[in-house]
Amino acid sequence: MRSRDGNKTFSLSVCSIILFHSLALCADEYLISYRYLVRDAQLYKETLSISHAMQKCTGVSTNSLILQTNNNKNLKQIISLKNEKFIAYVHKLGLNVKHREKTSNFQNTSTTILTLKTTCFKVDFNDNFAKITALKTAE
Amino acid sequence: MKYSLVLLTLLSVGSFAAGVPVQKMQSTQTIATPTETTINVVCPHQGTKAKEVVAKKAPQHRESAVLAEDKPLLISVVGQGVAPVNTTSPAQAYALAKRAAVADAYRLIAEKVKGVRVDGQDLIKNMMVKRSTVRTSVDAMVRNANVVETTFKEGLCEVEMEIKLSHSQFAQ
Repeated sequence: MRSRDGNKTFSLSVCSIILFHSLALCADEYLISYRYLVRDAQLYKETLSISHAMQKCTGVSTNSLILQTNNNKNLKQIISLKNEKFIAYVHKLGLNVKHREKTSNFQNTSTTILTLKTTCFKVDFNDNFAKITALKTAE
Repeated sequence: MKYSLVLLTLLSVGSFAAGVPVQKMQSTQTIATPTETTINVVCPHQGTKAKEVVAKKAPQHRESAVLAEDKPLLISVVGQGVAPVNTTSPAQAYALAKRAAVADAYRLIAEKVKGVRVDGQDLIKNMMVKRSTVRTSVDAMVRNANVVETTFKEGLCEVEMEIKLSHSQFAQ
């Protein structure tokens, strides 16, 4: 017959293991999409959408970006502060280019759309920095 | 009778002797025909030459392949972008112009690597061109392009961008 103290330590250890794994493994996952439109060589519209992933993402981790956070856990704020760095990182991941140009009676108009399709990113928040990693799905 | 026999034999020998050159002539003719055939043979010979030419051309074609297996290809473009008129600061103008220039550079890379679709349409009425339209379009996915240099002068931003292509990226 087991003693009550023995059962208590056992349940505590199980709980601590579950807590540890939940903290270590469940990094935040975000869905990010980016799109910008250039019309006649001028930036016309730029959209960056960030939202929490509602379900677990699948995919392989690719190259990552480390941004300074200063104890901030809000990804939107972090990215808006380091906008240029994040956009450069997104460019590295790859963008879809869609270009349309029309020349009618020697008058030219053009539209270029660069798009990052909605991609899942794993974000590890630490004290002073956040590590953003794109999860690449098999195509 | 004897003389007649001797005469006959002499005649036959004479005719035989006369017939030998005829046969020789015929043989020369038969030889001549092979020479004619040799002329005909020239055609297949030319054909073999043509094959040789094709065989020579094939390696040249390989040499002129755009993307060699051992040599990566570096594509460099310069994209241009203009700052909008109503900007609050020169910094904003620079940032917006740079975005536009980067998009232009991406488009140029896509055009060089993947190609452009061109559609043209001319409307002619009463023997006069009423409307001439050219539409071009590009659809591509560009990854790992690097900005080399950025210049901003008098509202125009120029971004030099390059991309390195290797044979392994396209191997399937």
